[in-house]
Amino acid sequence: MKPVSSIACSGGIYVILALVAVLFCSGCASHSANCPVVIQYWEKWTGFESDAMQSVVDDFNASQNRIRVEYSSIGELDRKFMMATAGGVPPDVSGIWGSRLPVYAENNALIPLDNFASQQGIHREQYIDVFWRLCSYRDHLWALPSTPTTLALVWNKKAFREAGLDPERPPHTIAELEEYNDKLMKYRPDGSIEAMGYVPGEPDSWDSMWGYWFGGSLWDGNQAITADSPANLEAFRWVESYTKRFGAQKLITFRAGFGNIASSQNPFFTGRVAIELEGVWMYNYIKNYAPPDFEWGAAPFPTSDPSKYHDTTIAECDALVIPSGARHPKEAFEFIAFVNSQKEMEKLCFAQRKFSPLAQCSPDFLANHPNPYIRVFLDLAKSPNATLGPPRLISWSQYKNNFDNALSRIQAGDTTAAEALHEVQVRQQKIQDQDLRRWDRVGPELTSEWSQQ
Amino acid sequence: MTSQNILLRFLVLALLVLFSIVFLAPFLWMISTSLKPLRETMSLPLRWIPSVIQWNNYGDAIQEMRYFWRYAGNSLFLCVMNVLGTVTSSSLAAYGFSRITWRGRDKVFLLLLATMMIPFPVIMVPIYSLFKHLGWIGTFMPLWVPSFFAGAFNVFLLRQFFLTIPMDLTEAARIDGCNEFEIFWRIILPLSRPALLVVALFQFMFTWNDFLGPLIYLTDQKHFTLALGLQSFQSENGGTSWNLLMAASTMVMLPVIILFFFTQKSFIQGIATTGSKN
Amino acid sequence: MTRMEKHNLKWGLLFISPWLLGFVVLSVYPFVSSIYYSLCDYSVLSPAVYVGGENYRELFTDEVFWKSLYNTLFFAAFAIPLSAILSLSLALLLNCNVPAKGIFRVIFFLPSLVPMVSLAILWQWLLNGDLGLISSALRPFLGGINYYFGTALTPPNWLLDAHYAKWGIIMTVLWGVGQSVVIYLAGLQDVPVHLYESADIDGTNFWQKLIHITLPMISPVIYFNTIMGLIGCLQVFAVPYVMTEGGDGPERSLLFVATYLFQNAFDYWHMGYACAIGVILFLIILVLTMAATKLTEKHVHYSGK
Repeated sequence: MKPVSSIACSGGIYVILALVAVLFCSGCASHSANCPVVIQYWEKWTGFESDAMQSVVDDFNASQNRIRVEYSSIGELDRKFMMATAGGVPPDVSGIWGSRLPVYAENNALIPLDNFASQQGIHREQYIDVFWRLCSYRDHLWALPSTPTTLALVWNKKAFREAGLDPERPPHTIAELEEYNDKLMKYRPDGSIEAMGYVPGEPDSWDSMWGYWFGGSLWDGNQAITADSPANLEAFRWVESYTKRFGAQKLITFRAGFGNIASSQNPFFTGRVAIELEGVWMYNYIKNYAPPDFEWGAAPFPTSDPSKYHDTTIAECDALVIPSGARHPKEAFEFIAFVNSQKEMEKLCFAQRKFSPLAQCSPDFLANHPNPYIRVFLDLAKSPNATLGPPRLISWSQYKNNFDNALSRIQAGDTTAAEALHEVQVRQQKIQDQDLRRWDRVGPELTSEWSQQ
Repeated sequence: MTSQNILLRFLVLALLVLFSIVFLAPFLWMISTSLKPLRETMSLPLRWIPSVIQWNNYGDAIQEMRYFWRYAGNSLFLCVMNVLGTVTSSSLAAYGFSRITWRGRDKVFLLLLATMMIPFPVIMVPIYSLFKHLGWIGTFMPLWVPSFFAGAFNVFLLRQFFLTIPMDLTEAARIDGCNEFEIFWRIILPLSRPALLVVALFQFMFTWNDFLGPLIYLTDQKHFTLALGLQSFQSENGGTSWNLLMAASTMVMLPVIILFFFTQKSFIQGIATTGSKN
Repeated sequence: MTRMEKHNLKWGLLFISPWLLGFVVLSVYPFVSSIYYSLCDYSVLSPAVYVGGENYRELFTDEVFWKSLYNTLFFAAFAIPLSAILSLSLALLLNCNVPAKGIFRVIFFLPSLVPMVSLAILWQWLLNGDLGLISSALRPFLGGINYYFGTALTPPNWLLDAHYAKWGIIMTVLWGVGQSVVIYLAGLQDVPVHLYESADIDGTNFWQKLIHITLPMISPVIYFNTIMGLIGCLQVFAVPYVMTEGGDGPERSLLFVATYLFQNAFDYWHMGYACAIGVILFLIILVLTMAATKLTEKHVHYSGK
């Protein structure tokens, strides 16, 4: 039994401590200068791309003391994001791939940004149109771009020179591409392929979308899937022609020997492939992994008919979103808007060696840009034939899966392009019809919910 | 007789050596790759010995993984908790399913077997929701608390071993007046030490290498385990640093290999003494 | 119930109570939830909408699901017997009186210690048709065959060729039999030595001893390993998933039922459909396990009873 006085003493100390704590916290509430709101930001980048964003985050944290951004680089971000949002523990801001937007939006994983954007004076005309469209879905704004990209043809000038081709003149049409291919083919003594000009599938990120360069698309924008449209058929017959001309097994073995894209073993750098369809980031790979005497060029990828389809490209962007259930959406948007200010956006895109998605571009940005072909990529983004790439469907994952399967069968020589595309068409239209029915059922409720936020 | 014996022994040895080469080759390849510079991981013709032995790959791998030692600590914590939970709960349950005869026992045991047939991805989301409601997502709790509730595999394993101990031992003890818990603690457990060691070892290995669980339940990178951390070498842009990944993998495997090497004698040879065979 | 039976029941339930609690909370509840979800259209973030048997009807006409079923059964039909024969053979060899037993044991067990991600990536490399170890090892043999028979065989592009991809996975899985070997070894050393001694006196040879003494005595262990193998193979997912980097192989040749389930759940966010696949998979495993148990009942001897 302690003497009463010492109990009172220790009790008194506790009361004082409690008072201090209460004062401190209420002080926090009223003077947020002492207690910044901490928001979590998840991003997919690593290495120098991540460092670029880190410096923007640092700028934001230094520019004010109400909000502090905690930036984390997360692997498998896509799935983690969905699981965290489903589990009720999402970050406040997340980077996503623009092509995933429809799935997230329609599954109620995101907070619409229309009100936030209009309050901050952000509107469509401030952006290159493709990127605003990539961030919108069903008439709502869901994201703002972080870094953009477009696809262009890149070619190995030295390989061209050695094959007797003009190193400054890339092919303009598909037919020309094939002529160049014939000149650039090299075989090993045992008959296997040593090097080629262009081989479909290296890289394989846009494998189902060749139709664009033939004037076709995968979806009519409304209800119909157009997998087997004449333009797509023409495109995939072209892909099939490779298997017919060079042999399925030979091509598979050839491609199996390719090294990592992000290494000196990238077949483009080791001279095994002389022409590729690649994005604006190619400059970074070349700078980091290619041999020092590597000469390259960039130009719009050839199309079947340049008079109609010139400057066709796929535009993509990394985008910033606010997940449903984020604890501090208002502060999250303030950060997103900061990233989208011209100065910070140009800083970010410059550091990642990309162009800026904003309509306005300071002259210094382009003049000082290390990528000698940045204008090519930028102009492609503004071209009327710039496409959004994957169709804005929630079933895009399944569509892509069906296409991948069709392609692997074509490339193995097990089926014709026509059969394969027809199969994809039938399967995907069935899925599309289901999704349309689902939208009829849940759509009205969802749209009213979105409009109220 | 003796010459036939010697011939047989020689044949057995030869077969073992042959199989060993086949089993060891990929592993040696793994180590060889871990010491190569990146360009040689993909060269033709194949080289076993790198032109430059890059010991620094190991150091680079640790650096690349950033929180390597933290991950190791997390893995260790989870392994200890899981082994504790598994051994205690599984042995208790296995005793109940094998040493006591009670009504409906074998039917309930079939239910236990049935649970092993439920594919994990199916119950993943309801379990995830459950943990979400408990507020355990993002913590370590979902990764060790369930081990205290006896996984079917371990109960099955221990039950099979407990069944090989003759019933007369326990009958005698019952006649002597021991209660079930005393029989469990004083007779069955000591006789089953090797089997328990097997359960502990397998659980340790499984938890050490488990990456699906941490992948789903952990959100903060600082909480990751070694197995999950290895994924950081598989970059999204299709650029896997093969040599660093193999170096990291070798390091991750090392503790478990050492553990197995030192315990194998006791549990394999010791399991043979389960029951009254000697 | 007699007093004895009541007493036993009480103690029995007491001992299995931790398992029982886990069973209800971590198996029954999620499984029942899954069954409910399989009757719904559910995409995680939106509430589940009851649609009755629609998912099952769709599954019946889904040719991708049937392909995944074919792949899984094909894989199981070869992987289970092959791994059983391999692991038992290795255990029998190791059980003989040979020098350096400890070292061999470690060698065979090592592969099962490799972390999943590393294992998959390592084998992805080994199975490379152009530069992989296996193709390089095969090339001289095929070269010899080509020379003598005038054929033009080349090593297959294992994981990139629809006809060989599953064999690549089977090889990868066989490399990990170490765990089963250890379990068989433990069982083998449990066999009473006096049985072998009396057989030797009677003058039986190696094969007779194997078939009439060894195999019956370790039959519970064989049963255990086979059932575990059956359940594991029918649920195969992680290894091919990492090796195909989340894909389903050339021409869907590596799409297993569990893979298709995972795709539907976490790539397409069709949880309801995924749960329906899960329920079907569970039923298949249940039926096959019961069949296997019934068929082998007569051959499994428990020496403790």
